[in-house]
Amino acid sequence: MELIEPIYQYAWLVPVLPLVGAAIVGTGLISYSQTTSTLRRPSAVFIVSLTGAAMVLSFLLFFSQVQGHEVYTRTFEWASAGDFKLTMGYTIDHLAALMLVIVTTVAFLVMVYTDGYMAHDPGYVRFYAYLSLFSSSMLGLVISPNLLQIYVFWELVGMCSYLLIGFWYGRDGAADACQKAFITNRVGDFGLLLGMLALFWATGSFEFDVMGERLTALVENGSLTAGVATIFAVLIFLGPMAKSAQFPLHVWLPDAMEGPTPISALIHAATMVAAGIFLVARMFPVFEDLPTVMTAIAWVGCFTAFMGASIAITQNDIKKGLAYSTMSQLGYMMLAMGVGAYGAGLFHLMTHAYFKAMLFLCSGSVIHGMEEVVGHDPLLAQDMRLMGGLRKYMPITSATFLVGTLAICGIPPFAGFWSKDEILGSTFAVSPVLWAIGWLTAGITAFYMFRMYFSTFEGEFRGTNKEIQTQLKREQLMAMGASLGPGAMNPQELTLDAEAEHGEDHHAATPHESPISMTLPLVALAVPSVLIGLVGTPFVNYFEAFIHPPSEEVEALLPWSEAFAEFEWSEFILMAGSSVGIGLIGISLAILMYAQKKIDPAAIANQIKPLYQLSKNKWYIDEIYDAVFVKGCRGLAKQTLTMDVRIVDGIVNLAGFVTLVTGEGLKYLENGRAQFYALIVFGAVLGLVLVSGIT
Amino acid sequence: MELAQFPWLTVTIFLPITAALFIPFIPDKDGKTLRWYALIVGLIDFVLLVAAFYLGYDFNDSGLQLVESYTWVPQLDLKWSVGADGLSMPLILLTGFISTLAILASWPVTLKPRLFYFLILAMYSGQLGVFAVQDMLLFFFMWELELIPVYLLLSIWGGKKRLYAATKFILYTAGGSLFILVAALAMAFYGDVVSFDMSTLAAKDYTVKFQLFMYAAFLVAYAVKLPIFPLHTWLPDAHGEATAPVHMLLAGILLKMGGYAIIRMNLGMLPDAHAVFAPILVIFGIINIIYAALTSFAQRNLKRKIAYSSISHMGFVIIGIASFTNLGLSGAVLQMVSHGLIGASLFFLVGATYDRTHTLVLNEMGGVGKKMPKIFAMFTTCSMASLALPGMSGFVAELMVFVGFATSDAYSFTFKLIAVMLMAVGVILTPIYLLTMLREIFYGPENQELIEHEALIDAEPREVFIIACLLIPIIGFGLYPKMLTQIYDTTTISLTDNLRSRAFASTEELQPLAFLPHLQAPELPITAD
Repeated sequence: MELIEPIYQYAWLVPVLPLVGAAIVGTGLISYSQTTSTLRRPSAVFIVSLTGAAMVLSFLLFFSQVQGHEVYTRTFEWASAGDFKLTMGYTIDHLAALMLVIVTTVAFLVMVYTDGYMAHDPGYVRFYAYLSLFSSSMLGLVISPNLLQIYVFWELVGMCSYLLIGFWYGRDGAADACQKAFITNRVGDFGLLLGMLALFWATGSFEFDVMGERLTALVENGSLTAGVATIFAVLIFLGPMAKSAQFPLHVWLPDAMEGPTPISALIHAATMVAAGIFLVARMFPVFEDLPTVMTAIAWVGCFTAFMGASIAITQNDIKKGLAYSTMSQLGYMMLAMGVGAYGAGLFHLMTHAYFKAMLFLCSGSVIHGMEEVVGHDPLLAQDMRLMGGLRKYMPITSATFLVGTLAICGIPPFAGFWSKDEILGSTFAVSPVLWAIGWLTAGITAFYMFRMYFSTFEGEFRGTNKEIQTQLKREQLMAMGASLGPGAMNPQELTLDAEAEHGEDHHAATPHESPISMTLPLVALAVPSVLIGLVGTPFVNYFEAFIHPPSEEVEALLPWSEAFAEFEWSEFILMAGSSVGIGLIGISLAILMYAQKKIDPAAIANQIKPLYQLSKNKWYIDEIYDAVFVKGCRGLAKQTLTMDVRIVDGIVNLAGFVTLVTGEGLKYLENGRAQFYALIVFGAVLGLVLVSGIT
Repeated sequence: MELAQFPWLTVTIFLPITAALFIPFIPDKDGKTLRWYALIVGLIDFVLLVAAFYLGYDFNDSGLQLVESYTWVPQLDLKWSVGADGLSMPLILLTGFISTLAILASWPVTLKPRLFYFLILAMYSGQLGVFAVQDMLLFFFMWELELIPVYLLLSIWGGKKRLYAATKFILYTAGGSLFILVAALAMAFYGDVVSFDMSTLAAKDYTVKFQLFMYAAFLVAYAVKLPIFPLHTWLPDAHGEATAPVHMLLAGILLKMGGYAIIRMNLGMLPDAHAVFAPILVIFGIINIIYAALTSFAQRNLKRKIAYSSISHMGFVIIGIASFTNLGLSGAVLQMVSHGLIGASLFFLVGATYDRTHTLVLNEMGGVGKKMPKIFAMFTTCSMASLALPGMSGFVAELMVFVGFATSDAYSFTFKLIAVMLMAVGVILTPIYLLTMLREIFYGPENQELIEHEALIDAEPREVFIIACLLIPIIGFGLYPKMLTQIYDTTTISLTDNLRSRAFASTEELQPLAFLPHLQAPELPITAD
């Protein structure tokens, strides 16, 4: 015990260590930018080792929690006014310890990977500072003892994502995307803030279990109607909806691909999107007694899962495809939370964190390889139509990508199988309709993931095909032309041909495998992607025994042999069999279409053109939002400004004018020129009419 | 002489203006001696203020401290009386801090430096005086005294429309301050005792009707200063034309005078009227937040954009004042200090950007982030502070106002619900206009025309130093707000207690303000053990 206690006392170091790293390097960049920028390796090693230390500490905490150490909480008074106090601090329980391990391991590996990926970028040091800050915010979030502190770090995570997505701020795409991410998340935060205030008003606390307990008591004794409580909970849920990219607040996630790939891996696996699921888990005491809210969460999750998968089918950009797949998988997690499968949702969060981080890092490795051939143009380097046959050139990347693909498709014994199967099983018990959608989505998932794998790694390499390159550029110009009007097209088309002629000389003809700093994290992540599912098998569910809702008691685990004997095999085989079955159907279709080319995808697309267009255009959500919210907000703002300048200021100026004129006029009035007085009144009325007429 | 008896406040108030009188006699050829002189005076004064705070100020005392009182006109009970309680102290320190930094920010000023530094120092004195004096008439004098330097600073060193802006400013504020004079006289001569002393005035027992008139008069004057919609239109003009250092003072300190005076007089002296006016204040606060955020979004001029954002942020001060809770009032004071720091930093950065791009129109900028990464970084940080990012002071202040207002027992549930909802809309709107602004200045491909014609050099150490000075308290208060709140906590508590005991004295139970169905916070049958 004497050895364990200090670990807990210093647990605050976990988020603080990366923060210190970010602060020191950041200060260096501002004060001695030239020197700091040249100290590339030392800065990177410094930050990576601090994160490594945080990781070691997290593992120690995790093992201590596994061995049954009680929950440890420490708080201090943060702000106060009179007898009103707000506290901050940290709490280490099972959930926090697990999240700490997930976040630190993924962040550590992503940082190692970054060294290779960003090697030639002038913003290398700055990128490390941001990464470190991002990890720090997320780590602070998971050890928060109350909702208020979660909100604090929640916002910080959002801010870091803004910085990171907009890392290449010279690109228009990145600049728009980071803004979109921040503002969409703020819409969610709006709900979270309101919900938080409302719950505080009703329960007088920011502690999760106290809030849950008191809210339930209030609803039971009738001092608060269930409807009002539901509204509060739904407001809270808006927060996770935005952070975890659930429909209708998912729009920022695919655009976030504008950031450098290591960020995509971090955002999509361990940090930002996980925060939403984590918050739902923390707020479970509040949600679980409100059936309407739980149903809403389940439906939102289920719909998002389906929608994401349906869009992923038609994406040609490798990162965008993975982004929609993330959205879809997050939908599964939300679905699990909604049907009350708390453990299953978090289990999927964990397995997904590892295999999705790996998949993203693989895509980064592919892009890195492609850039040698097609140059530093995201349009060309990320498009799968220019890839193909990369397995020959990048064996490690392709092997790990295949592992990730199998994991996400739910093929046993890979990690994704166990978690996804548990979610689907629990869903079936609650609602067969939700299960059916989830099941169908599993098939689509298998199809689009293998489509991605085959178009990237199998077949012939198409990277040097000028025709496709030109066609891609033309497509982009068409898209731009549509938004800029026909006149804007011509000059760009001229540059297109000129670039195509002299751009290719110094490029290699074939891509190469990425350096060891990039492949090593891939291999390291492949291990949990294969194996980690085994801690949560339905026979002996260690995971569930460790992570379960605070209100639930879990029976002691049986030893393996007994567990096998007592296990209900028929039900498991039926459920697992059906989900593996639809996965295999999806894979077979993908093989037929993209590996053996027996079916022509273009022909199918033509047959169901409206559906194809719907998927390709992401259900037109961006267009709708642009027309309604962006334009609407701009219009409203413009009108307000006009009103401010014309009416509010106009009246003031008019008042001044009138006083001036009447002052002059009084002289005449005293001389008895009443007509002049009337003229002034007339003038004033005319002025008023004019002012209101203009506006 | 013992330290406790040293006339700290009188000395600090008169030091800058006295020092300013010597400016004409300072030999100065290249303008460099003057600015150092002004800076050193400012610094000494700030150090004296900190010393006074450190040696003579006690956190646990809710009343006036560092009091000095010398009879001036005994017939009218007119005294030179200064003092500081929890409400004045943070603002006095803020004044010293921002004014000193503003002097450092005026380094590039070359036009008529003597007059410029003279006025800046005069303003320093006037502003300190407004927060420190404890006599109504003196308060009025100080209030007026500080207007003249601002008028001149605007009309001589301003932009193209400087005369229009300066005239508008003087008409508005001078017009407003007439109301102060009238109300002050009326209150002084009310009842048996003739006195201008603020604590005597606060202790008088006015009829409700009288209070309502006084309240309205004060409100008009302070609504101009704060500003509250629809009396805000002088502000975008004045801010749009001012140079960066004047800008810092306007946003950093001048706006706070309005909030300070509302708390000191409207809330402190006229509690019954406050109970009547509070819902109206809340409504105006909400209008401020949303209306100004929308106008800011549509603005194409950088300075005016930030000016409107100031108006928007002041909305939270108004709502905090009207919340009838400790937390809300505490949040309002914190928001004033916090906006003083953040507003000053943003306006300074706008000035720094203008010095390089020589344009304030957003359409003519774009992509300058590559050439000026430090300014880009500082601008982003300060914008984040302004949009209330946690870890910075703005967040704590807004959060306290939110929680304070939401838990207030003075309003009906429905009213609170709608009000909080609308306030929270500001949470969405603020990042929209601030991030769009950053996007248009720094992000995207470089604007070739700008690069060819202007020398876009990055921030110099002086500029980094100023921003660092402002960011340290912003982040410090954000991380550990108690550092600041403990200074004024006892004062706000006694203010709220006084307000509540007097405003709600007539009825046993709290009557919900705003005539809407009342729903109180549900009581729990279970007691937490």
